[in-house]
Amino acid sequence: MKYKDYYATLGVERGATEDEIKKAYRKLARKYHPDVSKEADAEEKFKEVGEAYETLKDPEKRAAYDQLGRHSTGEEFRPPPDWQQSFGGAQFSFDDLDLADLFAGLAGRRSRQGPGPIRGADYEAMVRLAFDQAYAGAEIELDLIAVEYDEQGNAKRVPHRLKVRIPPGVVDGQKLRVPGKGGKGLRGGRDGDLYLDISVESHPLYRAEGLDLYMDLPLAPWEAVLGTSVEMPTPGGTVSLKVPPGTRAGQKLRLGGRGLKRPDGTAGHLYANVQIAVPTVVDGRQRELYRQLANASSFNPRAQFEQEAPR
Amino acid sequence: MNVEIAEATFLEENDVVTLVQIAERSGLSEHELRELIECGAFSPIDVTEWTFSARCVVVARTAYRLREEFALDDTHALAVVLRLMQRIEALETRLREARR
Repeated sequence: MKYKDYYATLGVERGATEDEIKKAYRKLARKYHPDVSKEADAEEKFKEVGEAYETLKDPEKRAAYDQLGRHSTGEEFRPPPDWQQSFGGAQFSFDDLDLADLFAGLAGRRSRQGPGPIRGADYEAMVRLAFDQAYAGAEIELDLIAVEYDEQGNAKRVPHRLKVRIPPGVVDGQKLRVPGKGGKGLRGGRDGDLYLDISVESHPLYRAEGLDLYMDLPLAPWEAVLGTSVEMPTPGGTVSLKVPPGTRAGQKLRLGGRGLKRPDGTAGHLYANVQIAVPTVVDGRQRELYRQLANASSFNPRAQFEQEAPR
Repeated sequence: MNVEIAEATFLEENDVVTLVQIAERSGLSEHELRELIECGAFSPIDVTEWTFSARCVVVARTAYRLREEFALDDTHALAVVLRLMQRIEALETRLREARR
């Protein structure tokens, strides 16, 4: 097992008080916490700092850590032979554990010694879905490493693969719960749950807001004036959308129930946001027709400039 | 390695949980949750029955994570941080949408 100097990680003396340790940790947490830090390796640093604090903030774990002696970070070492007996008598297989597991096991055993059932820990996993998967639902595979404890409280790392069916209609930022797939409960305690943090990749056509979907609908000027019928590529298939005559840019045309759908039957709408697109290149005949149109029309698109302009 | 299949479920707004269930699922004690509720971090949907929307589990879990990760021990401060976090999340979502 590789030694880590937790005191050095937090930048405190070995004789530091609990208060000094907490202060040092808070300072580093403010610096490296991924929610506030912009540094590239913040997450890694924050993990190291967190691991050090997890052990040093607890007097019992700190005493156990101090018993391991002084080594330099990265140095191979084995806990002294009597270490296991002094701190609970559990048998670890040191080869497949690292220092953090050792202390997690220590805390686990302590809290697991009391009578009564203990509920398993909840796990959390990040899941990134393509838009199509979010729309239609998906089956994903997760590789999880669980730290499990036997009845004596001995820790062991158990890798396992879990297939999870994601229901259709999930949105970006959504949390899903997979009941009973967290850590194992002890002595009849309920198993923990697995929480999934969902992020959904953006789609070139659709933008989701809750269950509603928004998409741009570019129309040619004559289509907007005369009205038309447009074949809309919705996620659930092509739908014909009637554009009424006199449709303006910025208007939203609604395709009811064509948004994201949940298994319980709730469904969002698809909104087509009208844009007026103009050709950038026109030939001589078209330009002439536009000129005739300009002459024939008395339409003033800026009437409100005259009404609302400051005098 | 054996592969098992599990179903993920929505944490629905209309799923109702009790304070005890929030405590179980978040890692916070009932006492801490009551303090957070007093500070306005979240509130019961039914004040007499003390039942909550399942979304509160997410808020409480974030509170637990923040408390642990920043070593915060003042519940009022924690409630303020939670509110600010929620605003940042909402703004980031708006920003992502605006960039698309």
